Amino acid sequence: MLNAGELQVNYLNEGVICVFWYIFVFVLYTFFIIVLNLRSLKQVETFADFTTGGHRMGLWVGVFTTVATWVSVASVMGVPGYLYSNGVSAIIGWIAGWFLATAFIPIVAYKVRRPKNPPRTFPEFIHLRYEPFQKRSPLRAIVGLLMSIGYFIFVHLQVVGFGIVFSTITGIQYEIALFGFLFFLLFTSIGGFWSVSVTDSVNTIIIVLGVILGAFAVLYSTGGFVNIYENLATTTAPTFEGGESLPKGLLLSPVGGFGFGALCSIFLSNALGAIVSPHWVTRMMAPKNVKTAILQMMLSVLILTLIFIPLIIIGLGAKMLIPSLPAGQTTDYIMPTVITEFAHPIVGAFTLVALCAAAISTANSMLLHAGTSIYYDLYRNLFPDKDFHDEKGKKQLRYLVLTLGFLAVLSAIKPPVLLAMGFTYVYGAFGAVFFFVVLLGLYTKRMNRLAAYANVIVGLVAFIIAHIVGATNPFLVSLVVSFIAVLLSIIIGKKSPLEAYEPYFEVEVSPSTEKVLNIIRNEGADGSTDILANDSINHEVKA
Amino acid sequence: MLIALLSWLGSILVSLLLGTFLCYRIEKSGVERWGATGKLFK
Repeated sequence: MLNAGELQVNYLNEGVICVFWYIFVFVLYTFFIIVLNLRSLKQVETFADFTTGGHRMGLWVGVFTTVATWVSVASVMGVPGYLYSNGVSAIIGWIAGWFLATAFIPIVAYKVRRPKNPPRTFPEFIHLRYEPFQKRSPLRAIVGLLMSIGYFIFVHLQVVGFGIVFSTITGIQYEIALFGFLFFLLFTSIGGFWSVSVTDSVNTIIIVLGVILGAFAVLYSTGGFVNIYENLATTTAPTFEGGESLPKGLLLSPVGGFGFGALCSIFLSNALGAIVSPHWVTRMMAPKNVKTAILQMMLSVLILTLIFIPLIIIGLGAKMLIPSLPAGQTTDYIMPTVITEFAHPIVGAFTLVALCAAAISTANSMLLHAGTSIYYDLYRNLFPDKDFHDEKGKKQLRYLVLTLGFLAVLSAIKPPVLLAMGFTYVYGAFGAVFFFVVLLGLYTKRMNRLAAYANVIVGLVAFIIAHIVGATNPFLVSLVVSFIAVLLSIIIGKKSPLEAYEPYFEVEVSPSTEKVLNIIRNEGADGSTDILANDSINHEVKA
Repeated sequence: MLIALLSWLGSILVSLLLGTFLCYRIEKSGVERWGATGKLFK
């Protein structure tokens, strides 16, 4: 029999072995990221390479980048957190909501990818569709501003997720672990289109394997799914130690602790808001043709199912393994906590690196989205006559991205919302301001400039007011109000010119439309394009 | 739990059905630039 001293030594040894594996696997992943991105520096990526990447993406590259874009800390940490605290209702609110959005995104792809030369950014699409004859497009600037705010919030959430995982792996205090993100940002923000594609592909494989291994660890520790189900049916353990006990059976209720109205709001924001989110609209312009874009989303849904079955097992199984979290923690900690405590160190290390991969790849691409919106759609759009040099512009964009990254780290020190809910708020806001702008803009010739302004401004104001007054479903309120404003604007506003809608309704466009497209895209006679525009296409964002 | 899982399964089915329908529309259009190849899922 071991005495107390020997027991302590054993525990210490086990702890050291765990930390060794976590750090070993994490260092390997870091090494891979650095090598991959430094190699991309040596590759000569011309402007045309970037464009080719943008509009000629093949099916399988598209599937991997879509999955990597889709999966973020909100999915791999936020959703298990809500499964832990609210049970199966989180499947309806987030998982079914996001999957339904993925099902509907091909409706956008079916139209937005039709033009021979599609727009390169979402604000450019807005510019071409609603203000094709204006050199400076105020609507494009407004959309660029809203996008940069939305994507900064997305980045903030990724940094929070990264901080939680990095502090769990290293044992460093959360507030300090956050700054590790800047190290990754420094390397991952220098890659071009192909390096991003390869990184995304590898990240997708790591995420799929990581969550499957994590789920097996949870199934082994709980004794199987039947035990997990029985625990959900009977447990009354509070989510946090010392908190209020949960009503028996709450975790198996379809509405959980949310209530029907709130769950509907979450579902609709995630389902309808995500369809028109700028990063998904942009993503649908990248594949080589319309059908590839549609098939890309269909195949992605199947791979995403492989990721979410394990996440559901982990989130629900965690309630059996850790009935209550320590007071002061958030439910976002449940995934790394359950993995570190119940999985074998190698499995745990792999799963935690998968979480980091989700956070880093998303944060990096979202930062570029925020940066390009500010630089390209605000600055360059408002000052089109300034002399812009591409190399200088690239450098300025990098500095902007690094500054935004630093601000995101600072903002993550005191996170105000949970990861998955943060995404729902931003998706709700995007849906409120872009729903009719995108869908009616693609499917109705009568959708005009005034109606686009009405959707963006009225939708945003209604969404904010609905939140302030505490409406149960702010997204639905803003959608109805902005729809009325859009209808009135269509009736009283001027018709859209042919050049605005023709690319989305006709197979071949008229010479005047072609001319307008070339002017706005700033294309030279040789068809060469600007690298900054492509950054936002090639570095995509996750759901 | 059944309702939750069915709602998720429903979303997956919508994705497959809607995607198939849109691919069919592209094939019907016959526009090669949009991806019409003569085969529904190619």
